[in-house]
Amino acid sequence: MDGYNRIARRGVATVAVPALAGAYATAVVAATDVAVDPPTTYAAVSLTAHAADVAAGVALLVAGVAAWLEPRTGRLGALAVLAAAAWFLPDWEGWSGGPALARSVAAALAPLLLVVVLHLVTALPRGRIPSRPALAVVAAAYALAGVVGVGRATLGDPLLEGSCWRYCVGNPLLVHRAQGVAEALDKLGLWTALAVAVVLAATSWRRLGIASAAARRRLAPVLAPAVAVAAADAAYAIALLRTPLEDPRTKVFATIFVLRSLALFALGAGLAYTVVRARRVDAAIAHLGRALGEAPPPGRLAETLARATGDPTLDVAYWLPDEQRYVGPDGHPPTEFATGGGRAVTQVTRSGRPVAAVAHDAALVEWSPLDLELAPAVRLALENERLQAEALAQLHGLRESRARVVEARDDERRRLERDLHDGAQQRLLALSYDLRLAHAAADANGDLAAILAAAQEEAHGAIADLRELAHGIFPAILAEAGLARALTTLAESAPLAVELEEITAARHPDAVETAAYLTVAEAIADADARGGSVVTARVGARDGRLVVELADDGAPRRSDLVHLADRIGALGGSIELDARTLRAEIPCA
Amino acid sequence: LRVVVADDVMLTREGIVRLLREAGFEVVGEAENGTELLRQVRMHQPDAAIVDIRMPPTHTDEGLAAAQAIRADHPATGVLILSSYVEPSYALRLLEEHPERVGYLLKERVFDVAILVDALRRLADRETVIDPTIVSHLLGRRRRFDPLEELTEREREVLSLVAEGLSNGAIADRLYVAQRTVEAHVKQIFMKLGLDADPSSNRRVLAVLAHLRIRA
Repeated sequence: MDGYNRIARRGVATVAVPALAGAYATAVVAATDVAVDPPTTYAAVSLTAHAADVAAGVALLVAGVAAWLEPRTGRLGALAVLAAAAWFLPDWEGWSGGPALARSVAAALAPLLLVVVLHLVTALPRGRIPSRPALAVVAAAYALAGVVGVGRATLGDPLLEGSCWRYCVGNPLLVHRAQGVAEALDKLGLWTALAVAVVLAATSWRRLGIASAAARRRLAPVLAPAVAVAAADAAYAIALLRTPLEDPRTKVFATIFVLRSLALFALGAGLAYTVVRARRVDAAIAHLGRALGEAPPPGRLAETLARATGDPTLDVAYWLPDEQRYVGPDGHPPTEFATGGGRAVTQVTRSGRPVAAVAHDAALVEWSPLDLELAPAVRLALENERLQAEALAQLHGLRESRARVVEARDDERRRLERDLHDGAQQRLLALSYDLRLAHAAADANGDLAAILAAAQEEAHGAIADLRELAHGIFPAILAEAGLARALTTLAESAPLAVELEEITAARHPDAVETAAYLTVAEAIADADARGGSVVTARVGARDGRLVVELADDGAPRRSDLVHLADRIGALGGSIELDARTLRAEIPCA
Repeated sequence: LRVVVADDVMLTREGIVRLLREAGFEVVGEAENGTELLRQVRMHQPDAAIVDIRMPPTHTDEGLAAAQAIRADHPATGVLILSSYVEPSYALRLLEEHPERVGYLLKERVFDVAILVDALRRLADRETVIDPTIVSHLLGRRRRFDPLEELTEREREVLSLVAEGLSNGAIADRLYVAQRTVEAHVKQIFMKLGLDADPSSNRRVLAVLAHLRIRA
C-alpha cells in the first residue's frame, strides 16, 4: 500500500511542483523592476546582471524541480528549490511597487541562501545529513541566519540605515527600534555569511578529497560549483564588511554579483547532471531487473551488477558453508578483495546465513541495488549463483582429487620402474655374473657346464622379461626425452604397424605426457586385440590442449577404455571414441 | 689396452673389472659417477671407457652425457655405453655427434667375455658397436610397407651386421665369405633402401639405424 501511496503522491507532485516553481519564477521576473533609478535590484543596473540573476535562479529552480521528482534525489531537489527561492529574495526586497510586508519578509529570509546551499552539499548524495557533528554545524548556521534575519527585521528601521538601497521606506515587522543592535546584527550577519562560506568551501573540498574516483566523478558536478558559490559569497561578505554602503552600480559589487550568479548557475547545472545520472542508474537498474528476470548466464551476475551500478570493479564471492570459505562464481578461490582506498565489501545474508560478499566502490552503497526495490531479485540471483558456485567448487575439488590420484599412480609407476631397475635387475645381473664364473670354473665337468650355461640363458631371459616389464610400467625414455621419442620406441616394439604421422616435439607436464603416451599405448593394444594391422597416430598441441588422434583398421571397437577416460578426465580433458578412431584432448597450458 | 670403468653399482663394476683383468686388459681407473669418470679419463687417457648409462645424481642419462663429453675432448678414447634399455633413441644420440669409437650394449652382455673383448677391440679399430637386440628390434618392427621385403635373406643378414657396427672385413669373417662379396651386398642394400650415405664410411651405421627408425 505504501508503494501505491508513494506513487500517488508523486503523481500530484509531478504536476504541482513544476507549476508552483514556474509561477514563482514568472512572478519574480514580473516583479523585478528594471526601470527604477536609482536601482533597487542588481537586475535594474544592467542587462548582463539581469540575465545572470534570472539564469542562476531559474537553473537552480529547474534542476531542483527535476531532482525533487526523482525518488532518489527528492530531498536534494527540495533544498535546491529552496535555495533558488532564497536567491530571488533580494529581488522581492527591491520590488518597488510591492507590498511592504512581502519586501520586509524577503529581507529577513535572504541570509538563508548560503545556509541552504551548505545543507544541500552536506546532505549529498541522498539528502540526509550523514553525521551528528555535520547536523550540528548546519543547524547552527540556520540558527544564526535566523537570528540575524529576524533580529534585523524586528529591530531595525530601514529609514535610519545609511546603507539602505533596496527597500528604505518602512518596516511593518518592526517591533522595537534599536538601530545599534540592528547594525551589530548586520555585522554579525556578514561574519556569519563569511563563516558559512568557509565551512561550505571546506566541506565541499574535503568531500572531493576523500571520495573514491567513482564517487568523485559523481559528486564533483555539485561540489565544485559549491566551492565557487562559497568563494563568491565570501567575496561578497568581505566587500560589504569593507564598504557597508552597497552600490550595485560600482564595478566591484557588479562583478561580485555576476560571479555569484555564475557559481549558482553552475550549481544548478551540476545538480541537473546528477539527476540525469541518477536516471541512468535507474535505467541500468531497470535493465538489471530485466537481466535478472532473464536469468543471467552462469557466473555473469557480477558483470550484470557491475553494469547496473556503473562500478566496473564490482566483484562477487560466494560463501561455502561446508568448507567455511569463499569462492568466485567459477568455483575457484576468489580474487583477493581489496579494502580501503574507497573500496568496501558488503555482506549479503539470507535469514542470517551468509550468501555472498560483494566488493564495490565505497561510494556505491548509496546507489546500491542491494538497498533498492530490486534487492529481493538480486538476492535471489546471488543465492542461485552461490549454489552454482558451490557445485563448481565441488567439481573442481573432485577433479583435483582425481588428478592427485592419477599423479600418485604415476609416481608409483615411476618408483616401481626404478626399483625394478635398481633392485631386481641388478641382482639378476649379479646372478648372471656368478653363473658366468661358475661356468668358467666348471669347464672340466661337461654336464655341470651345460647346466650352468642353461642357467645363464634363464638369467638373461629373466633380465629381458624384467626390462620389458619395467618399460611397460613406465618408459624411462618418456620422462627423459619426451613424447616423440617415447612413441617412436613404442611404435618399434608394437605387435602391429604403427604410423606416427605428426608427433609434437614440444615438452609438456609429466601427467600430460604420460596420459598421451598411455592413450597411444592403449589404443595400439586395443587395435591389436581387434585384429588390426595398422594404427596411425597423431599428437599435436592446439589452443592449449594436447590433441591425440588415433585410427586403426581393426574390427569395430567394443570396449570403452574406461580407465583411459578416467585418467584423461582427471586432467580436465575429454575422450571421444568411435568404432575405429579415438580422439583425446588434454589441457596442457 | 687401457680401460676405465664407470658404474655406480659396485657389484657390477667389480665384476666387469675382474673380467677385463682376466682377459688381459689393464683397468687404470674406476668411477661411480660422470664427474669422476671424466676426471679419470683426463688423468689416464685410456683407450676405452666402459660407462653405465644410469649414474648419479639424476639416474637418467648421465652416462650418455659423459660419453659425449669424452668423445668430444678425447678422440683417442672409445666409449662403450652399458644400458638396461632397449632404446634406439639413446644409441642414435650417441652416434649422431661422434659416429666412431662408440658402443651401446645391453648390460647383461658384458659378462660374456667374448662379447666384451670383441667390443673393446672394435672400438680400438675405430669401429662402432650396437647391441644386436637393438638392431633386431629395429629390423623386426612391424611396417605397413616394409622396405626390407626387397632384400634377400643374405642381404638382411648383412644389413643387421652393418647396423651392429661391423666392418666389411668383420662381416666377411662372420659369414665366411669374401670381403668383396660383402662389399657388393652392402652396395646392393644401400641402393634398394635408397640410402645415399657412402656405404664405406663410418657414418653408415648411423645412416642405417636412422633409416630403419624413421621409416614406418
